[in-house]
Amino acid sequence: MRASRLVSGVSYLIVLLLIAIYLVPLLLVLNVSFKSFEEFLMNPLGLVDTVKWSNFTQAWTEGKFSNYFLNSLLYTGVSTLLTVILSLFAAFPIARGYVKWGSLIYVFFLMSQFLPNPLVAQFKLMLFLREELPLIGYDTKLGYILLRTTGTGIVFMMFVGYVKTISRELDEAAGMDGAGYTRYLFQIVLPLMKPVIATGIILTAIGTWNDFVGPIMYLSSPDNWPITAGLKEFRGQYGNNWPLLACGILIVSAPLILLYAFIQKYIVDGALAGAVKA
Amino acid sequence: MYPFGKGIRRLTPYLLLLIPFILYLVYYVGPSAMTVLYSFTDVTNVPGSDFRFVGLDNYRELFTSGNSAERWDSILRTVYFMAVVTIVQNGVALLVAILINQKLKGDYFYRAVFFLPVVLGVAVVALLWSFMFDPVNGPVNKLYRVFGYSDTFFGSFDHAFEYIIFVQIWMYMGYSMLIFLAGLQSVPKDLYEAGYIDGTSRWQSFRHITFPLIAPAFTVNILLSIIGAMQTFDIIVATTDGRFNTRTMAYDVYKETFRGTLEMGLPSALSVIQFLFILVFVIIVVGRLRRREVEF
Repeated sequence: MRASRLVSGVSYLIVLLLIAIYLVPLLLVLNVSFKSFEEFLMNPLGLVDTVKWSNFTQAWTEGKFSNYFLNSLLYTGVSTLLTVILSLFAAFPIARGYVKWGSLIYVFFLMSQFLPNPLVAQFKLMLFLREELPLIGYDTKLGYILLRTTGTGIVFMMFVGYVKTISRELDEAAGMDGAGYTRYLFQIVLPLMKPVIATGIILTAIGTWNDFVGPIMYLSSPDNWPITAGLKEFRGQYGNNWPLLACGILIVSAPLILLYAFIQKYIVDGALAGAVKA
Repeated sequence: MYPFGKGIRRLTPYLLLLIPFILYLVYYVGPSAMTVLYSFTDVTNVPGSDFRFVGLDNYRELFTSGNSAERWDSILRTVYFMAVVTIVQNGVALLVAILINQKLKGDYFYRAVFFLPVVLGVAVVALLWSFMFDPVNGPVNKLYRVFGYSDTFFGSFDHAFEYIIFVQIWMYMGYSMLIFLAGLQSVPKDLYEAGYIDGTSRWQSFRHITFPLIAPAFTVNILLSIIGAMQTFDIIVATTDGRFNTRTMAYDVYKETFRGTLEMGLPSALSVIQFLFILVFVIIVVGRLRRREVEF
């Protein structure tokens, strides 16, 4: 469709206006994070006068962010890794028809989108596990990781779609050469699925890193908190000290913004693939 | 035909599949079914304690006890939240997708920026907008004052919920936009050219070419918004924590499970009602939308 000059002018105007609504808050937070509290009170919106780098170190130490940061890394790393492996375990045989009732299991896994909210009973389950299997119960790192790990969500769906594009003859050739199922899965299929696995890793990692209510519900001791819970606590302590809170915002979001800048192509394409196939 | 051996080795795929299956059963399907069961009992969250079936008592209590007026408020608020979010979010997303799809310069940058809030996450987004909406030093209020108006935002009994709706839409608009964009990009270009030769207007070509062909994207988007909005409570926890008339059904389930009394039958019953609401809306809306979809 050819757009007239007026139409494309108006289009740019609308899009740029929206872009401003998305970028201005971030830029303002960046600006405020450099101010001293006094400067912020005197002139909350003006451009920073003297950059106060110590805000960041103060926020980092007083918010105990190094602790929470490590926890977040642990939760995100392990549950993402497990999710990808388990999704592969589930998606490959179902896509290939190597298990009986594969399509029935597929539908069963997709049901998660429509089932009644399991929140209440999940909580009760975690409390029960604390009594019976203390290692994976309420308020344990391992328990939280297992709760966050699934092989059945959107990543699984994307994997099923992708496996169908891999030639079945490869399976037969490998089988003829005497490769076992597990070995074939890890040495041949896994590398072939790199693009969709990258997407799966990123989507799962974003979800786990950002989980906000999960930690509040299932982790009561601060030793187990991830960075989102740390930020909530930090906010409680510093009320309206926006320069310090702004540093908190930036500390929590910086890793993701950096990651996003490098791999946003995968995220956006992955979200597209995942969403349309959903 | 299974190419990786016979006999006992034939079982390997089943064994590996069993792991995600069990996790799903234990952590998701099981609790989901138990929630329905619990809704008919007087179960508490004390591990190992007994419970007995009480029939529909929990459901009756939800709507007839002292605070049933509040309950109705929160149900109506949930439906309002869902309706506004679904309509506005998809409306804006469709507009932006159409604009970007006409090959604006820097389209990749726009896509990335609009998707950014999803990457940032609820904790950061809520704090970001708490800063923007700070009643004393916040930029938005400074802007309001220029026009002689002022607000307390997340601390306002009248408007807090509207601001939460805004933040919710701000956060997820990019996601809907991407789905529309995917739909738009799959529309064959020659259809427009054919229409152009026939002298169709811009509106006609949208109404009769674009709209029917992106109907699947509509279905997916509206489905996701309805289910998402009905279940959202993290953004409420992170902004007002239910104060200032901002409680929804999903928030109530969360609140009464984790911080209320020990009783769990009541939040279970509320979960079931929430599920029925979602089911009804999904059936109505998807039924209508599916009829619009065409094959090409």
